[in-house]
Amino acid sequence: MTDYIPALSAHEIARKVRRGEYTARQVTEAVLAHIARVDGCPGQLDGDPNAEPDRVHAFITLTAERALAQADAVDAKIAAGEDPGPLAGVPFTVKDIFTVKGTLSSAASRILENFIAPYTATPVARLEAAGGVILGKVNLDEFTFGSSNESSAYQPSPRNPWNPARVPGGSSGGSAAAVAAWEGALSLGTDTAGSIRQPAAFCGVVGLKPTYGRVSRYGLIAFGSSLDTTGSLARNVTDAALMLQAMAGADPHDGTAVTLPVPDYLAALPRGVEGLRIGLSPDYFRITYPDPQSGELYEEPLPDEIRAAVMHAAEVLAAQGAEIVEDVPMPHTRYGIPAYFVISRVEAASNLHRFDGVKYGYRTPQKVRDLHEMYRKSRGEGFGLQPKLRILMGMYVSAAQYSAQYYNRALKIRTLIRRDFEAVFDPQGAYRLDALLTPTTPTPAFPIGGVYGDSVLMQYADQLTVAANHAGIPGISLPGGLNAEGLPLGIQLLGPDFSESTLFRIGYAYEQATAEEAWRATRPLVVR
Amino acid sequence: MEYEIIIGLETHIQLNTTTKIFCSCKADSWGEAPNTNICPVCVGLPGVLPVLNRSAVEKAVLLAAAMQAEIRPLSYFDRKNYFYPDLPKGYQISQYDRSLAYGGHLEVPMPEGYVRRVRIHKLHIEEDAGKTKNENGRRLIDFNRCGVPLIEMVTAPDIRTADEAAQYLIRLRQLLRWLGISEADMEKGHLRCDANVSIRPLGADYLNPKTEIKNVNSIDAVRTAIEAEVKRQSREVESGGKVKPWTLSWDEDSGRLSKMRSKETEADYRYFREPDLLPIRLDEAWRQSILAELPELPLARRARFMGQYGLLEYDADLLTGERSLSDYFEQTVQAYQGDPKRVANWLLNDVMRMLNERGKTAGALNLTPQYLAEIIRLVDEGTVNTPTGKALLEKTESTEKSPREIVASEKLARVSDTAALRQMCEKILAENPEQVARYRSGKIGLIGWFMGQVMQATRGKADPKATRELLQELLDG
Repeated sequence: MTDYIPALSAHEIARKVRRGEYTARQVTEAVLAHIARVDGCPGQLDGDPNAEPDRVHAFITLTAERALAQADAVDAKIAAGEDPGPLAGVPFTVKDIFTVKGTLSSAASRILENFIAPYTATPVARLEAAGGVILGKVNLDEFTFGSSNESSAYQPSPRNPWNPARVPGGSSGGSAAAVAAWEGALSLGTDTAGSIRQPAAFCGVVGLKPTYGRVSRYGLIAFGSSLDTTGSLARNVTDAALMLQAMAGADPHDGTAVTLPVPDYLAALPRGVEGLRIGLSPDYFRITYPDPQSGELYEEPLPDEIRAAVMHAAEVLAAQGAEIVEDVPMPHTRYGIPAYFVISRVEAASNLHRFDGVKYGYRTPQKVRDLHEMYRKSRGEGFGLQPKLRILMGMYVSAAQYSAQYYNRALKIRTLIRRDFEAVFDPQGAYRLDALLTPTTPTPAFPIGGVYGDSVLMQYADQLTVAANHAGIPGISLPGGLNAEGLPLGIQLLGPDFSESTLFRIGYAYEQATAEEAWRATRPLVVR
Repeated sequence: MEYEIIIGLETHIQLNTTTKIFCSCKADSWGEAPNTNICPVCVGLPGVLPVLNRSAVEKAVLLAAAMQAEIRPLSYFDRKNYFYPDLPKGYQISQYDRSLAYGGHLEVPMPEGYVRRVRIHKLHIEEDAGKTKNENGRRLIDFNRCGVPLIEMVTAPDIRTADEAAQYLIRLRQLLRWLGISEADMEKGHLRCDANVSIRPLGADYLNPKTEIKNVNSIDAVRTAIEAEVKRQSREVESGGKVKPWTLSWDEDSGRLSKMRSKETEADYRYFREPDLLPIRLDEAWRQSILAELPELPLARRARFMGQYGLLEYDADLLTGERSLSDYFEQTVQAYQGDPKRVANWLLNDVMRMLNERGKTAGALNLTPQYLAEIIRLVDEGTVNTPTGKALLEKTESTEKSPREIVASEKLARVSDTAALRQMCEKILAENPEQVARYRSGKIGLIGWFMGQVMQATRGKADPKATRELLQELLDG
């Protein structure tokens, strides 16, 4: 029986290419042909959001020629008897928030419409050095500011491969949609509040947000620099681990990338969960929303389908020998979003200062009287709604007269959130957890146009993921079943600093134990 | 009305590191074409990150220690946000509320004899921005200077005259070069100074609004600009007006101040911690290894030279003007083992002239302290006379041979062997019977003419005293 190559996972492709069953060129050509079938037109500036509503539209830039040239280089290595690397011939996509030398690096914003990066981001360079083949740059929310991809300046924005009337999530929506729709086995994403895990949950794929500092941020166009992490989207835990293995480690270009040695993630996978203590927290089974009129916070329990998916995973893991610890208090979880609002926007406003029309990117074609008018017009025309909202709020809360009231308080909350985790992961503490098991999102993928425009409510969709970004700890979202409408549900594991190995182990055990469940055999609509 | 002048100086010091503070571009772009010494990091392209050059921290720690400032074991970088075309990221990476050091002071000895202690308010590390030039209605930007490491050091309003301000800068420049952390050349912008100036009635204890003078590119200009501004403020007040908190620009060519902008409200730079850099953790081991390089400071050494070697203040000041010269002096004193004042005289009179002529520092001379000591001893012993000794300085410097070798090979030793000298004198007398007769008839002034003959014949090597004695003995005898 011959494989449908695009459906193969990364570790299978690498094995087959290394063994000579397929050439890297064959793999690349097969995946490019698949993309031509399912993706439809790429996102473009001033594009029609409703074009080809049954297609995925994951891409902004497809780099087919570059991909074939890279594939040929892998094949040449194999022919010469050299080691082609652990990702030999594995096709992958890159969220268009990373720079890749010689390609448009747009951040899905008009303001970078003509920015051809003169250098390659470290994680991209490492994936390439491991034999990976870049298919192109995939769509995202403008500058990663969003949870649905609808804010991209490049339209149509990606659609959910399980149901194209739904959003793929965001901001790594193009990445999650591409991986789910078999357009590349892996995708490189970023996670600032849940931007890898939430779209992974919405699209039924694995999304890993590593510990802050585990993977270099060099070449990642920054959003909230103290929260941004580089991570993997893949179709299974093994692939996510393989990808992290190739990217992790110190980087002379990033002083915040840690120098700790990188463990062998793949070797740890089959060790099982016997004896691991996995916690469940009531604070992750409810969600706090502000009332749009009064601003008062009110609480709501999560939908039963979400709760059920997590409880099922707990039972599966318990059956595998894990010890489930209930009623773990995570009292500051509910303040994660308000604190994130402030911190991320202060950093974002500052990070966006460099886009001023002076050096690269968009400059207003209109006549201007002076420098300030050039700034105002270039930024006013170049940025979309989301960057503008975030700049306004960031400028406001970091102003000298307000920063104590907002920014400094947000930093204190951040410390308290970190302490919640330290307390439950403390090996001498009352809970001694190896990981916390939670839902990834409060809901499955919402309809396109359903939430967009209400930036506050959209943000509250990140409530269960953002705490990991505040604390800097790793988190992984795993496919946890399908709901009655056939939409994927995500479950999340959170662990202490640098516990990626443990999270992979638990994820792999869960994956193995549920391999025969019916939902595992269901494919996304676009590849049925 | 009599006024008291209140001056505070804000200095920016360019550190002489090999590379820039956050990337591996060369730090020094002097003379380079615009935008040729840049990379994605220093021009702030999307996605880049800064990586701290530890050498910049080390140099800043040396300065902080020399200023007797408190050095924080944990300090942070902050972003100072503002828009300007030559600031490519739209923020400057600087330090704000937890900077590397705080406090400290510099003692400034004034030529009049008193010492002005100038306290330091702020001392922090930051990156430089680029340069903007307006040309034919176009704004041109050179990013070469982006990311050059700077220390910003701000004094308390402790300076009371334009001369004190100039002396502060002279002493600071001396210190920076002494520590080897900056070339401190004001003309090249290695040391930049803005002066905050206000006046108040003598005896008042409040501060009036101050003006800030920018764009002063030499120590003389600082002095002249402050004097001009003090006059302007006094005129303003005396004509019933008020001094407004303006920023002024000094035009060196016209010697005039012009208003750049009013400064009624403080700009809000929306400082916050730079998330892309870890805090500077100056642990004890690192601190110790940096401070092990901290030399004796110029004013301390000046005092020691006066006490230990009995030098006059003026001489001690000259000899400690520059670290290499003062080291040279002490090494020569050690090698010489005689009166240090004698070494000081040789150095200040002759060696200094050589240094100026050749544009060398003392440490770079071929005339080593050992050779200089040898030359002085040769003169002391009478092996060579003083003019020959002085000539030896140049010969040693240009031939790189030891002075004794040169004396031997060029037969420069003074002819003091009486037998040989007597023979020479007898010969000259015998060749000039007429002059001998005239001398003996009373023209004793001719002794000088005979001396000249002997000197000419010995090419100056004859010992003048012995020659005169011999001639007198032969002529009078």
